[in-house]
Amino acid sequence: MSVNAPRSIDDYLKQLRSALAGEDAALVQDALYDAEEYLRAEVAAHPDRSEADVLEFISSTYGAPEEVAAAYRDTEVKVKAALQTPAPRAAAQGSGVRRFFGVFMDVRAYTSLIYMLLTLATGIAYFTVVVTGLSLSVGFAILIIGIPFFLAFIGVTRVIALGEGRLLEAVTGERMPRRPVHPGPSASWLTRIGDMLKDARTWTTLLYMLLMLPLGIVYFTVAVTVLSVGLAFTAMPFVSVAQHLGLAANLTLFSDDARIGAFVLAEHSLLASLLLGIVGVLLLTLLMHLARGLARAHARLAKTLLVEPGSA
Amino acid sequence: MDDSQARKFQKDLNAGLVALVLLAVLERSTEDLYGYEIAKRLQRANEGEALFKEGTVYPVLRALAAAGLLTSRVVPSYAGPARRYYRITDEGRAMLGQWTHIWRQTRGFVDRFIEGTDS
Repeated sequence: MSVNAPRSIDDYLKQLRSALAGEDAALVQDALYDAEEYLRAEVAAHPDRSEADVLEFISSTYGAPEEVAAAYRDTEVKVKAALQTPAPRAAAQGSGVRRFFGVFMDVRAYTSLIYMLLTLATGIAYFTVVVTGLSLSVGFAILIIGIPFFLAFIGVTRVIALGEGRLLEAVTGERMPRRPVHPGPSASWLTRIGDMLKDARTWTTLLYMLLMLPLGIVYFTVAVTVLSVGLAFTAMPFVSVAQHLGLAANLTLFSDDARIGAFVLAEHSLLASLLLGIVGVLLLTLLMHLARGLARAHARLAKTLLVEPGSA
Repeated sequence: MDDSQARKFQKDLNAGLVALVLLAVLERSTEDLYGYEIAKRLQRANEGEALFKEGTVYPVLRALAAAGLLTSRVVPSYAGPARRYYRITDEGRAMLGQWTHIWRQTRGFVDRFIEGTDS
């Protein structure tokens, strides 16, 4: 262990990273961030000693990379067990019918649906940020403010990526980083720009933000369409009953243009409206399943583009 | 009785105690603290003889924050990376009260046998 004791902060972080190999990318990012915060503070606190001297004692204070890696692994297991909303039992077991409708008991299905509705707004915002930032960066490139502008722009995309990750973890439970990407040691602007351009994650983050516009449009459209049709169908039997009882003679769910075929039929026949109501409930249930599955798949996509390239 | 067994015993003991100590430190502090500061306070309090490695403090801080017992905010620092400052929440204070009670009970119980006052 002492044979290859780390001699520099970069060395230490490299060893910590390899000690955490195979762990969740988000956990690795958090652990590296914490270690770097500590190590840089420790080096700064001993201005009379060199980095190598400070690092020599680090395994007796902060802990050797393997020890620290083990601490994160243990804590993560415990926290996961304690914090994760357990999947509802009724939804996981039981008959197919119970499992099918159990989705209504799953908090994540609702949060996923809200996320789908939200993606239109976030998609437009992300897309605008990227297009504006990129084109202004190119335009400013010949000016003195080009470099700081580009740095600020990439900084903003990283903050957005962190926020999007937190949101998706809240929605789906997929583990996402709780710390931003570490900016690394302070270096000249040119080296920083070079590092950013070389970092695959910079580009995949931009790609994700661009992708969010078309994805957001699709998610939003699907959610709104199925939700409104499903709700209207579900309400049909009640409206029909009310009309037959003469309680709501003027109450209609559809505009005159839309009152064709089945809808007109439903307003006159209880049975037809009842059938439509069943279809509506099925549609809503399917939508909940779809939302949960889509959000889960989307979280994996986000992780692939926003988190994993940085920990390769 | 070799050293590694002693260390393993210490580690098992620390599992829950680190969280208790961290909550207590943040409860007594009048200002928000960041990870490095907390780690150093613990080290100083124990006269340099570390009961646990400072690196193990960070994941526990994160876990406590994720459980809502602590809140945190990030403050940019001139001397390197931005620091995450922690502060105890009301929920954390309530939890600390419970945990302190459990700890006193446990300590009294264990001592009764070790000191031999029970017979």
